[in-house]
Amino acid sequence: MSAGTAARTARPPQVALPPATGPVVGAVSRQLRRGTLVVSAIAGVMPAFVAAQYQGTFSGAVPASSLEALAQNPAIRTLFGPPVALDDPGGFTVWRLGTVLAVLVGIWAALAATRVTRGEEEAGRWDLLLAGRLRLAVLIRAHVVVLLGAAVLPGLAAALGLLLSGTDATGSLLFGTMIAGTGMTGVALGVLGAQLLAERRAASGLAVAVLLGMLLVRMVGDGVPALAFLQWASPFGLLGRAEPFGADRWVPALVLMGMVSVVATAAVRASDDRDVGSARLRGRDRVSAPSRLVRSLGGLAVHRVRRPVITWGAGLAAYFLLIGLLARTMVDFLADNPLFARLAAQAGFVQLGSVEGYVSALFSLLAVPVGAFAAGRVAHAAADEQAGRLTPLLSLPVSRVRWAATEAVVVTVGTTVLAAVAGLATWAGTAWVGADLGVGAALAGALNAVPVALLCLGAALLALGWVPASVLAVGVLPAAGGYLLLVFADTFAWPEWVRAVSPFAHLASVPAESVDAGGAAGMLVVVLALAAAGLAGYARRDLRG
Amino acid sequence: MSAVPALRAEGLSKRFSTTLAVDDLTLTVPPGEVFGFLGPNGAGKSTTIRMVLGLLRPSAGAAWVFGEPVAEVERAHSRLAYVPADVALWPAFTGQECLDLMAGLGPGTDLTYRAELVRRFELDTGKRARAYSSGNRQKVALVAAFATRAPLLVLDEPTSGLDPLMEREFRRCIAEAAERGQAVFLSSHQLAEVEAVCHRVGILRAGRLVEVAGMSELRRLRRTEVVVDLARPAPELDRLADLPGVVDLRRRSDLQISLSLTGPPGAVLRALGEVDVERLDVREPSLEEIFLDYYGEVPA
Repeated sequence: MSAGTAARTARPPQVALPPATGPVVGAVSRQLRRGTLVVSAIAGVMPAFVAAQYQGTFSGAVPASSLEALAQNPAIRTLFGPPVALDDPGGFTVWRLGTVLAVLVGIWAALAATRVTRGEEEAGRWDLLLAGRLRLAVLIRAHVVVLLGAAVLPGLAAALGLLLSGTDATGSLLFGTMIAGTGMTGVALGVLGAQLLAERRAASGLAVAVLLGMLLVRMVGDGVPALAFLQWASPFGLLGRAEPFGADRWVPALVLMGMVSVVATAAVRASDDRDVGSARLRGRDRVSAPSRLVRSLGGLAVHRVRRPVITWGAGLAAYFLLIGLLARTMVDFLADNPLFARLAAQAGFVQLGSVEGYVSALFSLLAVPVGAFAAGRVAHAAADEQAGRLTPLLSLPVSRVRWAATEAVVVTVGTTVLAAVAGLATWAGTAWVGADLGVGAALAGALNAVPVALLCLGAALLALGWVPASVLAVGVLPAAGGYLLLVFADTFAWPEWVRAVSPFAHLASVPAESVDAGGAAGMLVVVLALAAAGLAGYARRDLRG
Repeated sequence: MSAVPALRAEGLSKRFSTTLAVDDLTLTVPPGEVFGFLGPNGAGKSTTIRMVLGLLRPSAGAAWVFGEPVAEVERAHSRLAYVPADVALWPAFTGQECLDLMAGLGPGTDLTYRAELVRRFELDTGKRARAYSSGNRQKVALVAAFATRAPLLVLDEPTSGLDPLMEREFRRCIAEAAERGQAVFLSSHQLAEVEAVCHRVGILRAGRLVEVAGMSELRRLRRTEVVVDLARPAPELDRLADLPGVVDLRRRSDLQISLSLTGPPGAVLRALGEVDVERLDVREPSLEEIFLDYYGEVPA
């Protein structure tokens, strides 16, 4: 014993051990496992489905002259991305699904990145970790490596799915690379956002906003040839430039990887020598005049929803203004090319041949972002509960049900306002280009999507009551899941009852058709039932946090 | 009116999957009493309080605040104010906005007294919550709670982040609340704090309430430590061990013995009167020692 002690003290202490990132890598991987699996499954299965289905339906049906016309039309390019190699199942799949999949993977990656970095840091769990030998920059680097690795998997799955359905190998790999690269961009933006902003929510918002801004850049670049160079700064634009199954260019893929490494390096740099728990950008900590809104429950709910409505409203206004501006080009083109009208119908866009039909199709899509907004607000409340921020409020003479119901009512108003903003922006766009759309028709079309968005609110409330850990996932299901279900059901001619599960099956194409009052009323009844069941569970269960 | 207890719990239990966090807890706090709720970390203090607030649903049993079942949150909470152990506030809210929110929705707030409390606790209410230390967040909750006229204050380890000066201010506020007739349910593991402000104490251990006693009663229940220095050896004192109430008699040296005494000391004093005592040291154990004694005695 004493000899051992002597031997030990004789040796110089070893202080220069490499920091132990192994356990960190393991922990982050565990946090990412489930989401990565789900997103990879979607990314693998969907393109394979579409490619296989194409081979059965359209193979060889598209004449070259139509393709030429399609590729030249700015409206088509703007909305769906540049149509390339539509005579190839892989090319068609990329055109049909590429943007949707890239957006999905990119947003997932950005949210996952802020969750495991800023989320953990904000909850104070990193303080303990960093009290050891680990430095913040090393920790961030380890996270970036694991996250980038996770973001590659959906791309790999997409490539594999396409390969298995028999498409060209180079195109499949290129498409998979671009999807992976978009995910990696999302990761880099998420980690960068987490260094710049001290709250996970804000960091997530920034990363997703930049990503969607890049999508808008792609759309503008496709619609306005003079601005096409902007697309080199957008993963979605680069996907178009790469032309998988067409020209199969690898330079855009390299540019994308370069972009990822620049943003990721900036993120790691930004983490260097900053304080743990703080961020690079910090608003004012001192406020001269307290808000007068926060003295009542309704005022509090308005206070909480104000800024999100403004930011979501700005994004939706920009997008739907563009939709409006494109109305005439699109309609003229489809009138001249009935084949593509049929293709678009197959893709879920019926009646694209008139201005009303065209905006109707896009207004039904409006339910997805507006529904995500509504579900996001409930998820926000669930996160507040988890963090213990509701405890002071709910120890006042305020019942949970009254609080949650007040929030839900105000979110309903916010949802309606957002839809109205989108309708007005569309009208403004169509008025600018002289397309024939009344302001009333535009508003009616946009507001027609509100019941579907409210289904998201209802589902989110249900989750708040019974599965509070999955509010966002359950909440976006009616709109995002319902939309995909309808597309698949139409594409593969699934039985009518499967199709009827989707809320979009009960949504009339307003303003092209008149409002399906029965469908809307039915949906609102379901919303109330979901909300009531959710609030009943919420009143009964233990509060978390 | 005074017959209705400020807080009553009957057989209150909470089970989290396999852990029984609170086991069959029954207690009553009358109006106007300052009740200390003692126990080490993980004893179930916060779980009990969260059940009383209706934040957790009891697995068994029930609780009432001034006769209102705790599940009837709107009515029960109009009679109480609460300070959590770990105060989480919305980061973008300023201290003033937090206070306004709690006053606007709370059980009625004395705004003049609140302004005084803000000054006494040296709270900077113009700052956003994200810029507050945990002590400052705690001050926000304390000011909001003390400024109410709620007849019951439920405080869960409210001073864990406060410095000694602020802790003194806190004790003053408890005294003022007691003067106004507000009942206080104070959970703590800081025995000195409880000893200084409470009328009665309940001790919670591994989810079970092992003792409820008045401060003086609690001390009397426990032993008095007696150390006797002798001028010359007195072997006859060995028979002290046979006297009622004497435990743990020890001969430290020929000239010093020590013993623990429960109950009245008369017999021991008479016995000591017969020998040549040079110095007699009688010490009342602190609550801390009583407390540790409990945890030594009660089998796990």
